[in-house]
Amino acid sequence: MSGGPMLDVQDVRVYYGSQQHPVRAVDGVSFALNRGEALGVVGESGCGKSTLGRALLRLEPVRSGRVLLDGVDMVGLRGAKLKAFRSRAQMIFQDPYGSLNPRHSVGGMLREAVAAHNKVERPDREQRVAELLRSVGLDPAYTRRYPHEFSGGQRQRLGLARALAVEPELIIADEPVSALDVSVQVQILNLLKDLQQQLNLALLFIAHDLAVVRYVCHRILVMYLGKVVESAPAEALFAHPRHPYTEALLSAVPDVAKGLAARTTGQNRIVLRGDMPSPAVTIPGCPFHPRCHRVREKCRTEIPALREIESGHCTACHFAEEM
Amino acid sequence: MSASGSKLVTVENLQVQFFGGTNPVRAVDGVSFDIAEGETVALVGESGCGKSVTAMSLARLVPQPPGCYAGGRILFGGQDVLAMDEATLRKLRGRDISYVFQEPGSALNPVFTIGWQIMEAICIHRPDADARAEALEMMRLVGIPEPEQRLKSYPHELSGGQQQRVMIAMAIACRPKLLVADEPTTALDVTIQAQILDLLRDLQKRLGMAMLLITHNLGLVAETAHRMFVMYAGRIVESGAAPEVLAQPRHPYTRALLEAVPRLEGTEGRLKAIEGTVPNPAELPPGCKFHPRCIFAGERCRVEEPVWEAQSPECGVRCFFWKELA
Repeated sequence: MSGGPMLDVQDVRVYYGSQQHPVRAVDGVSFALNRGEALGVVGESGCGKSTLGRALLRLEPVRSGRVLLDGVDMVGLRGAKLKAFRSRAQMIFQDPYGSLNPRHSVGGMLREAVAAHNKVERPDREQRVAELLRSVGLDPAYTRRYPHEFSGGQRQRLGLARALAVEPELIIADEPVSALDVSVQVQILNLLKDLQQQLNLALLFIAHDLAVVRYVCHRILVMYLGKVVESAPAEALFAHPRHPYTEALLSAVPDVAKGLAARTTGQNRIVLRGDMPSPAVTIPGCPFHPRCHRVREKCRTEIPALREIESGHCTACHFAEEM
Repeated sequence: MSASGSKLVTVENLQVQFFGGTNPVRAVDGVSFDIAEGETVALVGESGCGKSVTAMSLARLVPQPPGCYAGGRILFGGQDVLAMDEATLRKLRGRDISYVFQEPGSALNPVFTIGWQIMEAICIHRPDADARAEALEMMRLVGIPEPEQRLKSYPHELSGGQQQRVMIAMAIACRPKLLVADEPTTALDVTIQAQILDLLRDLQKRLGMAMLLITHNLGLVAETAHRMFVMYAGRIVESGAAPEVLAQPRHPYTRALLEAVPRLEGTEGRLKAIEGTVPNPAELPPGCKFHPRCIFAGERCRVEEPVWEAQSPECGVRCFFWKELA
């Protein structure tokens, strides 16, 4: 085991379609994630954030790049080694209705997950299932019930219990609360936060809601068209965004305090023009320039590189210093 | 702007029930509110609280059966919507009241062009108008680029944001007096959400229509609404001017909702979750419907249902203890 970060993602690319006209869903993403750390990935739909999460678990094919988990590259893994890798990294999906098999009882589903990686001896498995249910705040007596008997929030708890069944070190949560009601969202967010701290999990939290990400995560990556355009500690990113896209995203989020303040000050938000372009089209210069409210001549021709502007704060904008 | 203008819509003690299982489900149980001309009113609540059913009822759109209007009145411009004959109702729908729904992708008909769908409403309600020219005008108004070409496009050829613009173009084509926007931006990305909101506000100002905004997003309410009504389990539990309710909520549910929303400026410590889930409208608890989840609930809340206490025509609350909590 190396002394580096637990998860080290280096220049990962996921392309679809033909060689001549690739759709660059994830286009050279690098980051590191430590034990006990929660990293948020935000961006609009189509920016590649879900594809990135899935690719890290090998649920999507990785075109190039390296994904090192404690120094071992998982990109080329097959068979037993891939299975071993998956027992260390698990996923929670957005749709609590679609991600549970309706024909498996809660007990059956969890027993299967516990058995799959043989971490618990057979006689102790029932015990482990009950423990898992308790850890996500569900009654252990629910083992005979089926997914349709649960509410959305409870199903998301089941999804979390299933992910925890193999005692993973890394959890990738893809929009885990966006399908839930406001009052239930917080229950799941608090649970996720608690478990992450108790079990010292590394958490990759993918979401489009910046306020939610801020609540859960220590550090945040902002993605646009398959690339990371800004990465920073949560505090710094919200206090002082250094990329116009982040700035626009923050300004667009409807927020109670901001909305009430805007009524008295009459302050206008930054509204981005148009939609996000298709990742199949190559844009010259900065990929964000057609929608940017601070665009200049240089942006149309030169691709900005991701560079560190302050300690731990990276941005891919030519004019970040002026923001 | 407040409710000082003349009343466009008045809803009095509306009761909507659904039949299916053994007991009728009281989806809306005694809801009263009004909307003035040109005003933006928000109806706030979680899924299953009856806000969409209330909104649909304004144009009597709840299918009967299984639905049934069991009581109350809805007056639109002085006419009783629940007592209207079909012909009058047809004139009301689409001309005086129009709707924008959450999922533009499923609200548009996939087998007709955008142009056809916008023109349809114009042809029905304004037979003298040049439908094509009007449709183009509407598409320009909602900011669809290259409207001439887009007229011939099918819904699947447009992005979600553009589809929602088309829905809005259809909705305003007959210059309605009331636009009901049911979670108009929930299915969209935040940046597109901001575009659509700005568009709605701009159109509302220009066309002078009233808007009923149905949402669970309190941030949206803070930015757009003049007045707000908070619903829980088919009842209105609090109402008032939106900035006041949001700044000083009186009902424990409104409070809890506000405390449960992660804030952009960061949260000190933990967010307070509302324990439990929204009750099933077929099995509502006795007493105050919120008491099983209310941290302030007392003995009285478990047995007796609080009545509506109006502090003024504009604001009121349904809670025994709101004064003690303030």
